[in-house]
Amino acid sequence: MNGSFSARMLRTIAAWVVVAIFFFPISYWTSVAFKHGNDIFNRPPKLFAFTPTFDNFQKVFGISLGSGGITVTPGGGNFYMAPRVWDSIVIATLSTVLAVAIATLAAYALSRMNFRGRHSFVGWVLSTRMMPPVAVAVPMFFIYKNFGLIDTYTGMVLIHALMNLPLAVLLMKSFFDDIPSEIDESAIVDGASRFMIFRRIVLPMAKGGIAATAVLCFIFSWTEFLFALTLTTTSLKTVPVVSSTFVTSIGTAWGNMAALGAASIIPAFIFILLVQKHLVRGLTMGSLKQ
Amino acid sequence: MRVAQARRFVISDHPLPWLLPLVAILLVFTVYPLIYNIWLSFHEFVPRRRALEFVGTENWVQLWNDTRFWQSLVITFTYFAIALVFELVLGMAIALLLDSDGFGFGFLRGVLTMTLVIPPAIVGMMYLLMEDPQFGVISYLLQSIGLLNSNNPILATASTALAGVLVAEIWQWTPFMVLIFLAGLRALPPEPYEAAMIDGASPFQIFRRITLPMMSKVIAIAVLVRGIDLFRVFDYVFVMTSGGPGASTYSLSLYAWQQTFSFVKWGYGATLSLVTLVIILVIANLFIRIAKVRW
Repeated sequence: MNGSFSARMLRTIAAWVVVAIFFFPISYWTSVAFKHGNDIFNRPPKLFAFTPTFDNFQKVFGISLGSGGITVTPGGGNFYMAPRVWDSIVIATLSTVLAVAIATLAAYALSRMNFRGRHSFVGWVLSTRMMPPVAVAVPMFFIYKNFGLIDTYTGMVLIHALMNLPLAVLLMKSFFDDIPSEIDESAIVDGASRFMIFRRIVLPMAKGGIAATAVLCFIFSWTEFLFALTLTTTSLKTVPVVSSTFVTSIGTAWGNMAALGAASIIPAFIFILLVQKHLVRGLTMGSLKQ
Repeated sequence: MRVAQARRFVISDHPLPWLLPLVAILLVFTVYPLIYNIWLSFHEFVPRRRALEFVGTENWVQLWNDTRFWQSLVITFTYFAIALVFELVLGMAIALLLDSDGFGFGFLRGVLTMTLVIPPAIVGMMYLLMEDPQFGVISYLLQSIGLLNSNNPILATASTALAGVLVAEIWQWTPFMVLIFLAGLRALPPEPYEAAMIDGASPFQIFRRITLPMMSKVIAIAVLVRGIDLFRVFDYVFVMTSGGPGASTYSLSLYAWQQTFSFVKWGYGATLSLVTLVIILVIANLFIRIAKVRW
């Protein structure tokens, strides 16, 4: 919309102010991440006037930035996050691969084939997304216990894949719907099988959509809390679960917490850059085309 | 190509092989737990015998008389309603503000999106720090403008704890609404706006009579997607308040989880989680009918 120069000026300033307010917490945590213990407890809280340190990052991730080697003391070992980051990466990656593979197959059929009950089938898939995680996590805990799946990659990968399936199916279906079905039909006339069309023609055309779906699945697995909290105990944990244990009876490790929080923004930022174009469609499960 | 050979794979023309993996995993991971949950809700764990025992409809009767359940239902609805209203109104306002190609607006939209990919459990922890009565920056700001008494820690005072949690929720998810509404606004046709300008309509009239009606489908989807998530809130209350102080921030999901894992009331926890599921399914399906949401 066009307006007078001053109106546009005002709008631009207002937009920057609003976004700055939303960005403030992130900048504040990042500052805490670089603070020594006593600087965190300063009153009034200081945003810039403190001596920065890498101690928090070093302790949380067990990485050396500058001075000495890895400094993980037995007492502070709780906050050593590197294995948990690895757990999170493995679970998120494998569950994403599984969810996207299953969803892509199903979405192709739902997009191209006419069969009885197709509509109610989509409705059923959708309804699984309405399930509150607690309604699955509670019975799953007992089922997992019986099958020895607690604390296993398999268990976490399966439950995260399940969680992302409705989203992935609906999203992939909307991407397939965008590819004209005349292409399929002419290939069928040429004698190609369904699977050949899928693999050689439709799949390559939907590459961008698959990438977007994968990144969204990865993010949702990365940020998921309740299943990870319920279905893991000691030997396997994800980043969000460990972050909630930073509050201990002897105090909260705020500096370490903030370092983790600040670090969690970096992959977030990379992912946003990757899927920005498809983000809205993904977040609304494909129902909204950009 | 070997046409005749390829043609033989007619089995792939049937939808079943394509849908089979999906159906299998959904059956195993949703239908089976659901049935197990229903079964569990008619049983209860007896610590003395270390076994589950059939208790009939006892859990369901207990639910009816459980004031804490009704309390958590009210809290969940309150949380749902307040967060939804704030996120919708703020989201729409910010989307209208950002729907421009002015200097740096693309960058601003990107920055706003950052909130969406930080784990909610970590966001909750960070707000826990910011709302700390002694060294939290939010507490400090509120105290220095006189809105908050330093003797009243936000998250440990029954009257303000829910608001303290809602701040984290609204901060993280308002950008979600902004993104959806921006996508919707960008797709609107320009003609009605041009006509309204010629007729001399005020910006508010244009918003009420043109933007809102044309955005109704987008708003409905935003309400549905966000509403489902809001109703099963767990992460923020778990890390920020654990339901307290008292029971002022108990959500249904948290209550069900605690009954199962903290109080070892497996049957009752299952009953509570079933009720949460039923409420969400009923409300969501009613909403889909009424608002005619299409997927």
